[in-house]
Amino acid sequence: MQAIDNKGAGAIVSEIATAIVDNKAYLSEIDGKIGDGDHGVNMAKGFGRAADRLDPAGTLDEAMQVLSDVLMSEIGGSMGPLYGMMFSDMADSIEGAEQIDAEAFGKMIRAGLEGVQDIGSAKVGDKTLLDAFSPAVETFDAATAEGKSFAEALQAMKAAAAEGRDSTIDMVAKVGRSSRLGERSRGVLDAGATSCAMILGCFADSIGNRLA
Amino acid sequence: MAPPRKRDVRASRPPLRFGDDPLLWASWLYYEEGLTQSEIADQMGASRPTVNAYLADARARGIVNISISGDKLRSVTIARAIEAHFGIGDCLIVPAEGGQRSLIDRLGAAAAQSLPDLLHSGDTVAITWGRTMLALANAVRDCHLSDVIVVQATGGTTAAITYTPEACATRLAESLGARFVPISAPAIVSSPEARKILLREPVIAEQMQNLERVTCILFGISSLRPNSTVHSSGFFDSSLQRHGAYGTAVGSLAGRFIDDQGAGLSGPLADRTMGIDLDQLRSVPTRVLVAGGFDKVPPILAALRGGYVTTLITDSATGEGILRAEGVELDTLAPRRRAAEPPQQALARTRIKKFINQPKDAVTEALEGALAAFPDHIEPIGGSLRALRSRAAKPEGKVGVVIGGGAGHEPGFAGFVGPGLADAVALGNVFASPPPDRILSCTRDAHRGAGVLYIYGNYTGDVMNFDMAADLAAAEGIQTRTVLTTDDIASSGAEDRAARRGTAGNVFVFKVAGAASARMLPLEDCERLARKANAACHTIGVALEPCSTPDTQRPSFSIGQTDMEFGVGIHGEPGVTRVRLQTADRVVDQICDRIFEEMRLAPGARVAVLVNSLGATPMLELMILNRRLTHRLSARSVDVHTTLLGHYFTALDMAGASITLMALDEELTGLLDAPCDGFAWRK
Repeated sequence: MQAIDNKGAGAIVSEIATAIVDNKAYLSEIDGKIGDGDHGVNMAKGFGRAADRLDPAGTLDEAMQVLSDVLMSEIGGSMGPLYGMMFSDMADSIEGAEQIDAEAFGKMIRAGLEGVQDIGSAKVGDKTLLDAFSPAVETFDAATAEGKSFAEALQAMKAAAAEGRDSTIDMVAKVGRSSRLGERSRGVLDAGATSCAMILGCFADSIGNRLA
Repeated sequence: MAPPRKRDVRASRPPLRFGDDPLLWASWLYYEEGLTQSEIADQMGASRPTVNAYLADARARGIVNISISGDKLRSVTIARAIEAHFGIGDCLIVPAEGGQRSLIDRLGAAAAQSLPDLLHSGDTVAITWGRTMLALANAVRDCHLSDVIVVQATGGTTAAITYTPEACATRLAESLGARFVPISAPAIVSSPEARKILLREPVIAEQMQNLERVTCILFGISSLRPNSTVHSSGFFDSSLQRHGAYGTAVGSLAGRFIDDQGAGLSGPLADRTMGIDLDQLRSVPTRVLVAGGFDKVPPILAALRGGYVTTLITDSATGEGILRAEGVELDTLAPRRRAAEPPQQALARTRIKKFINQPKDAVTEALEGALAAFPDHIEPIGGSLRALRSRAAKPEGKVGVVIGGGAGHEPGFAGFVGPGLADAVALGNVFASPPPDRILSCTRDAHRGAGVLYIYGNYTGDVMNFDMAADLAAAEGIQTRTVLTTDDIASSGAEDRAARRGTAGNVFVFKVAGAASARMLPLEDCERLARKANAACHTIGVALEPCSTPDTQRPSFSIGQTDMEFGVGIHGEPGVTRVRLQTADRVVDQICDRIFEEMRLAPGARVAVLVNSLGATPMLELMILNRRLTHRLSARSVDVHTTLLGHYFTALDMAGASITLMALDEELTGLLDAPCDGFAWRK
C-alpha cells in the first residue's frame, strides 16, 4: 500500500506556493484578457505569505490550515474565500492522520471540492476552477477504483485537471466578473481553472516524488 | 464532424479556355460569372482562402484591372476641390445627368441619404422651402432618431405653390418621426409694424425662440430668375425688384437677399420678414445647402463666400461652374495617388510609469496619504488601514451603513464615508474584495443597536466575503441587510437586472442610504430606499485605453488605435463590445440611446447626472461629454436636478468615462439634496 507520512508533508504546501509565486505574471496575464488581471498578484500574495509562516517539517493539514487562514483573512477577492474554504476543508479531512494513502487523499480532495461548491455558486461548465477540479477528483476516484496505484492515480488526476483547464477555453463564463463579457469570454483560459490545475499538478508531483 | 465532401476531380481542372491559369479562371468566375468566392471554391475544388488569394493575385498581376468610372471620379474630384477651396466640411456631388429623375429629385434623394450623417438624436432641425426642399423631405426614409424637432425656418407663403414652408417642414417631420413646430405667421408681412405686433404674440414669440436652438438647417437657395422660387412664392414683386437696395442681389436664402459676396442686403423687406435671419443662420452648427442648376451658380457661390454653408449638395455641372467662376482649373485636378502612408509606429508600451514605491505597498501607502489629507473625515478602526470609519459622532439607534470593495477606484469607497454618507468602509487589495474579518470590524464599529446595512457592487468575491461577515455578525447578535448595486446596464439584459454589476451608480446609492440613516429611519426603510436608489440608477461606461495595476505595471489588455470599448465596468476589464472610435457627441448619443430606452425617460422627468472619469480621462473631456448629454436631455425635456462631474469611481489609470442617470421622484430628490460630507462629496 503506497502512502506518505503526514508529518513533514507541510513542505508540499511550500512547493505549491513556490509554483504559484513563480507563475504570478502568467496567471495575471490570463486573467487580464477577460478579468481584471489581478489573479496572479493576489494568489502570489496569499500563497507567498503562507509559505513564510508555515512549518515545512509539520503536517500537511497544519500547513494547509495556515494557508487557508491567510487566504480567508488577508486576501479577500473571490479566490480568498474559495481557496480558503477548499484548503480548510481538505485540512479538516486529514487532521490527525499518521499517513496519507490513496483513500485518504481521495477523501481530502473530495472534501475540498465540496467546500468550493458550498461557498460558490458555480457549476461544471461555467468556466471556473470547478472545470479543472471536478474532473480531477472524479478521475482520481475512478483510477483507484480500477486498482491503479496511488502514484498512477495522481498522474491521472493531474492529466484530468490539465484537460479540464484547457476545456475552459471554449466555454462562455457564467459566473464571476468575466461573465459580463458573454461571448467575448470564449477563447481564453479561465484563470481560476489554471491555478487550480497548477495546485493539483503540484500535489501529484510532490506526493509522487515522496512515494518513489 | 461531418466527413469532408468528395470533390469531383475533373472539376478541379480549369476548362481549356483558361489554359492552366487558375488566376484567370477564378477571376472570370468572380467578375464575369458573378459567383461568390465559396461557389468558386466549390467549382475549382480549392479552399475559399485559396480563391481569395487567387483574386488578390490576379489584381496584383494586372489580370484584373479595377477602375472607377470617369463620371464618378469626376464627381469626387469636384467635391474635394470645392471642399478645399471654400474650406467647407463636406461636399456631395451627384452626376449632372442620369436616369429618369429630375435634377431636383436626385438632389433631394442625395440629401436625404446624407441625413443620417448630418442629423442626430435630440437635434432641432430647421428647413426652408422650395422644390428641392420638398423633394428632400419626401425622400427621407426612417433615420432611427429620437427626440428630433423640425422647425419651420420662416413663416408661410402663398398656397399657390405646393412646396410651401409648412409643407416642407411637416413632410420632413413625418418622414423623421419628429415633432413639428410651425411659425404661425406669413414669411413676409405688409409692414414693419405688423411684424413687431406679431412678434409680441406669445405663440409666435415661442415659435421663433426655437430658431435659437437650431442645430442643423437644411436650406435651398433661390436665384432671381423670373420663375424662381422667390418669385413664385409671391414676395418679390416688380416694384421691389426695381428697388435700389436689391440692385446687387444675386439670390435669396430663407427669404433673405444676398449680394455676390454673400453680404445681407437690408432693403424694405428686411424688417418685414418673419423667420431665421442671416446671422442666426450662420451660427447654426450644421448648415446644409442643397441646390443645383445653371442659374444657381451665382447664388451658391455667394452663399459659400458668405460662410453660410458647412455642407453643400449639388450636381457636377453646377459644381464645375462654381469652381470655374473662382478660377479653379479642373484639368489640374487630376486624381493624385496619395503617397503611401508611413507604417504606423507600434505603441507597444510594455511598462507603465507610476508614482509608487514598492508595488506591494501601493494600497497601504495610498491610505496613509488619504488619512493624512482628510483627518476630519476618516480614521482607522482598531489600527487597520483597511477598515475606516467616519469621524462624525453616530447617535445610538442610527442604522450603520457599511460599504466596501477593492482598492483602485479612488476616491471610490473611502471618499463616501462621512455624515450623510456611509459610516464605515472595508477595503481590499486592488480590485479585490476585503476579507470578512475587516468587514466584521466595520460592522461592529457602525452598529448602534439598529442594525447595519451593507452596500457594495455585485461581484462574486464581494458577495462571498460580505456574506461571511454577515454570518459572523449575526452570531454576535448584529442584524445586517445587504443591498447589491447593479447600475451598469451594459453588463446584462434588462430581464436579468440582478446579474448586473455595480459601478459609478454606487455614489448615488451610498448617498441615499446615508441620508436615510441620518434621518434615523429603521433598517427596513434604509434598505428599501437604497434598493430604490439602485433601481433608479443607469450607467454605461466607455474606455479608450486599458488600465495597469501597480503590481504588473502593464496594460491589462490592448485597445486598437481606432477602437474603443463600449460597456466597461470599473476594473479595467474589456467592455461588452469593441466598436470604432467615435467623436464625443456620438459616444454620448450611443450611451443615451441605450439608457433612455431602458429608463423609458419621459418628457418632464427629473434626473441626477454623474459624468465620471475612469481615471485617466481629464475634466475637459468630461465637460465635453456633459455638453452633449445636456443637449440630449433637454431635447427630451428632462430636468437635470443635480450634476456630478469628475473622478468619482475610477479604474486606476483607465482612459474612459461613464455616464450615470438616476431617475428622481420626490422621495429620492429629498434624500439626494440632504447635506453630506465625505472627502469625495460635500453637500
